[in-house]
Amino acid sequence: MNHPEVIVCVGGGGVGKTTASAAIALSLANSGRRVLIVSIDPARRLADAMGVELGTQARALSLDSGSGQLYGLMPNPDDALRTFVEFLFEEEPAAVERLLQNRLYQVLEAAVPGIHELAAISLTWRAIVEHEVDAVVIDTAPSRNAVDFISYPKSLAKLLGGRAVGWMAAIGKRTSIVSPDDRMGRVEQLLVRALGPVARDVAGLFAEMARVRKRFILLNEHTSKLLLRPETRYFLVASSTAAARDDVGYLIKKLGKLDMTPQAILLNSAFVPEREWAHVLEAASVTTAAIDEVLSTLTLDREARQRATARFTKDFSKRYPNLPQVLLPFVEAVEPRSIVHALAQYLDFPALVASR
Amino acid sequence: MFVTGKGGVGKTTVAVGLALAAAEADGEAVYVEFGDGASGRRLLRNRPNGLECVVIDPSRAVVKAAASVFGSTMLAKVALDNFAMRPLIRAAPAIRELGVLELARQVVEKHPGKRVVFDMPATGHSVAWLKVARQGRELTGRGPVHDLCARLEEELISPRHASIVVVTLPERLVLWETLSLCDTVEKEVGLSVDRLVVNRVPHALPAGALDDALLLSKSPGPIGEAAQELAALLCVRDAIREQVMQALDDTVHRYGEERGGDAGLTLLPLAAKDPTAATAAGGLRSAGAA
Repeated sequence: MNHPEVIVCVGGGGVGKTTASAAIALSLANSGRRVLIVSIDPARRLADAMGVELGTQARALSLDSGSGQLYGLMPNPDDALRTFVEFLFEEEPAAVERLLQNRLYQVLEAAVPGIHELAAISLTWRAIVEHEVDAVVIDTAPSRNAVDFISYPKSLAKLLGGRAVGWMAAIGKRTSIVSPDDRMGRVEQLLVRALGPVARDVAGLFAEMARVRKRFILLNEHTSKLLLRPETRYFLVASSTAAARDDVGYLIKKLGKLDMTPQAILLNSAFVPEREWAHVLEAASVTTAAIDEVLSTLTLDREARQRATARFTKDFSKRYPNLPQVLLPFVEAVEPRSIVHALAQYLDFPALVASR
Repeated sequence: MFVTGKGGVGKTTVAVGLALAAAEADGEAVYVEFGDGASGRRLLRNRPNGLECVVIDPSRAVVKAAASVFGSTMLAKVALDNFAMRPLIRAAPAIRELGVLELARQVVEKHPGKRVVFDMPATGHSVAWLKVARQGRELTGRGPVHDLCARLEEELISPRHASIVVVTLPERLVLWETLSLCDTVEKEVGLSVDRLVVNRVPHALPAGALDDALLLSKSPGPIGEAAQELAALLCVRDAIREQVMQALDDTVHRYGEERGGDAGLTLLPLAAKDPTAATAAGGLRSAGAA
């Protein structure tokens, strides 16, 4: 299998990251590539933008033109932990049964940040192999912590390989787990006293996890191959606001710690394309008061957007002079899908990447 | 007051706006944010005297908060700052959330009688933060962690002290998610949502604008063609607004009716540029939300 080209979109919330990711994927597929788009955003926007249903399987999507293929994968956050556990314990079904009985697992199942991302990565790997795609676009969660999960399997594998796990698992084997006893060390006594009876569940969970250390290492290889190869391209997505600028700055720092440099920043809704017709109407003397009001609002909005974008790009160029900025138009449409299609036409992603 | 909602909906602007309004009305208030403190610095450049800002750093919260479980900072360090627990805490999010909640409780304790506005972190499910105390109490059964969770429920998350404001956007998907969030908060946290703030609601078109444009588009020549473009744009905007109002009506208003009348709904208008916190404070005040 040839390694697919991997593109990761990161950015804060509400900046149109899913729309931009979908436009990149569509643009690549229109140029003849076999593309998989994965949304880790639990907000179900991809489902809306591209008509993908939630599920653990990638689904084929319709294209504008071209000979390419586009698949969408949108894992359901509610199934994330179960999916993840099934992946980890593929070879040990009995352990899955035991885990389901573990009280700590039952609490974790409700909501654990980070697990959804890991489940999505294991599903992505499967979909890449299954559909033989040659490009993957990953739409990360709309958060500053969106890339934290990348180093998560590594730290888990490290945790499971270290002394800590044997030690935790040993606590579970002791009979008098519910109260501290003399045979315990000082730290163990403190922990058991603080946690109470649940210490047994904690220890049990660790004992199970230690059994799948190899799978954690495998998962770590998968995430590294997808997200940390030097060839992986990161794109920042932002809108022209101070909050989005701060989010992006934070993400650049985080990516730097992973030795990754973003390719470019895509600035969504950065400008309103020139409207010749508005000037025609402004110059005409036949318009009504209502039309004049609309025209002046259109101009004011357009100028406000222009100013916000100018402020953003000036500030951004000063901080990151070597990072290219791609300005995307503000597109108004009823259907999110139409916005994606319009942006895909505008973006011409293969040309953008080739020009770098 | 917990201000919650998914990322990018304008949650921080609303939270800061509510804190400003509270400081103005009561003379004193506290704004609490989680993270590096950047949003407070950005939005509160001209902070009034009565408004105090507190930043809680989640990465350092656990050991700080644990002092109250183990009885002393030194014991907490022995128990948590060791080869086994450091990686565990790094890997187990619920522990960190408990730590953060405990620090939040301490802020409330330090400011009796003042209104404290929490700008909740924009994780996928910010409600998980509020659930963690109850889960921890039920899970542990007894012991210091149990007592810590019980104290959080009693002093921080109890309906007697706490209210919840959910910020959302007028999009069908986002509204659905918001309503299921409200349900979860009610059923699993035991708090009712006091107010829904729907941000960026598009303005109605000026009366007659679309009809005028359609009429004008029948005239010959470049003016007619230009008017066709305008009419097309206005049709899109009209349809978007229609969709928004329909979604609001289908979901949010019905949600209010099920709860007997006023859902505590506030609509903030769409603007090309997001409002400043002071403008939001004014908007919230005039809508009766502050």
